[in-house]
Amino acid sequence: MIVAGRQTAFVFLIVTVALFYIFLEMARRGRRIPIRTFPAIAAIPEAIGRCAEMGKPLLYTSGYAMETLSNPDQGPQTLASISILSHVARLAVKAGVKLYYFTCIQDSLPLVEETLRTAYLEEGKPEEFDPLQIKYQAGQSPYLNAVLGFMQRERPAANILMGGFYYESVVMGEGGNTIGAMQIAGTANTHQMPFLIATCDYCLIAEELYAASANITQDPWVLGCLRGEDIMKIVILALLIVGFVISFTGTTFLIDVLKR
Amino acid sequence: MAEVVRRELVYVLTAVVVIIMIVDYFFAVPAISAIAGELNTWATVISTMALTLGAVNIIRVHSRNVRKRTPGVWYHSAWLIFIFAFVLLLGLTNINNPSANPIYKWIFDYSYVSLGQTWYAITGFYIASAAYRAFRARNIDAALLLIAGILVMLKNAPIGEVIWAQLPVLGGWFNDIGQMPAMRTFLIVAAFGLLAFGFRTLLGRERGFYGEVGGG
Repeated sequence: MIVAGRQTAFVFLIVTVALFYIFLEMARRGRRIPIRTFPAIAAIPEAIGRCAEMGKPLLYTSGYAMETLSNPDQGPQTLASISILSHVARLAVKAGVKLYYFTCIQDSLPLVEETLRTAYLEEGKPEEFDPLQIKYQAGQSPYLNAVLGFMQRERPAANILMGGFYYESVVMGEGGNTIGAMQIAGTANTHQMPFLIATCDYCLIAEELYAASANITQDPWVLGCLRGEDIMKIVILALLIVGFVISFTGTTFLIDVLKR
Repeated sequence: MAEVVRRELVYVLTAVVVIIMIVDYFFAVPAISAIAGELNTWATVISTMALTLGAVNIIRVHSRNVRKRTPGVWYHSAWLIFIFAFVLLLGLTNINNPSANPIYKWIFDYSYVSLGQTWYAITGFYIASAAYRAFRARNIDAALLLIAGILVMLKNAPIGEVIWAQLPVLGGWFNDIGQMPAMRTFLIVAAFGLLAFGFRTLLGRERGFYGEVGGG
């Protein structure tokens, strides 16, 4: 019934989801699930405060992300970024900081507009929302040019680069450094993490991007999922060690099971 | 009330679509596969339709610049609007195959593509300046990074082999084997993060991108 080659993956999915559910139930019933603070998330108020003090805007961008939400690797990163944007936008509105959002992902535009509009509405300043704070450019290089041009003209005091970045990460990171902006970044694209780490002050790496909303809201549902994730990471680590050890015996049992 | 119903409807639709896609991936059910295929087509169509929103955004942003004569910007905006309209008209002259129009093809091949490639090539200089910042031996970790970075650079630069024939082998080890476990670790943990994100979305607990703040 299950497609050949996907049976073990299906079992892993069920076990992982079951763990998520067990831990979120435990969290809902009041069990405390400690979560470390992500320095990148903790630095967001500082970045917004810097913008407010200097009277400069805040730049937020979600990266190239293959220009669509439909891409299975990149789309979720954009969505996670928009989740963080909702938090950033509220803080920015509260502090009276103008936030500019740059994107080349056309199908994310309605979500971003709704997110920013809601942030202004919830902070009691709906009249201050300007849809033109959202700046769209089609294509990776034009988008990158637009961001660099904005950095040079408006000199934002802080840049937040969160999402599925490609080659633009290092250019934007260095461009931000040139103007002396405080920079907070995050991506799950392994090929771009080194560039963001090298060029930005704070960086969320890999699953931290997806877990950022848990850090912000401390929602027990989200914290429960994080604990489930941690358990599965230990399981994978154990499998790696067992696989490494039994590989010396020439046994292919584990590989055969995982390939099913 | 209408707003609450609208949001709940979005959560329900999201959950239904996620379940259909998961079932389609794991089970060979022709009826579900047909629905999943249809949903994928819809996603493509919606994404393409969203290009219109992008075009509207571009025109609004740049026409405002022109209207307000924003210093240092408005003439670029005027040029952008002109090129936008010009290329659009050229494309519309042969809507089934815009590339058949030689002027349209020339603009795309010899300005858009070449400018894009120029930008990509410039990245090398940005990487060099980022590497200069990252490769300063401020502590033991940074010093190790510096050594590995130099070895990988010498592997790629022809002078590396001239200095010592084994340098490319050493740099190649860092490039092909040394970094791989770390990168794969990130890939694996990112996959679990993605799974948890999907699970929360399925349950309607990840609401930031619906315009709400963070989780539920």
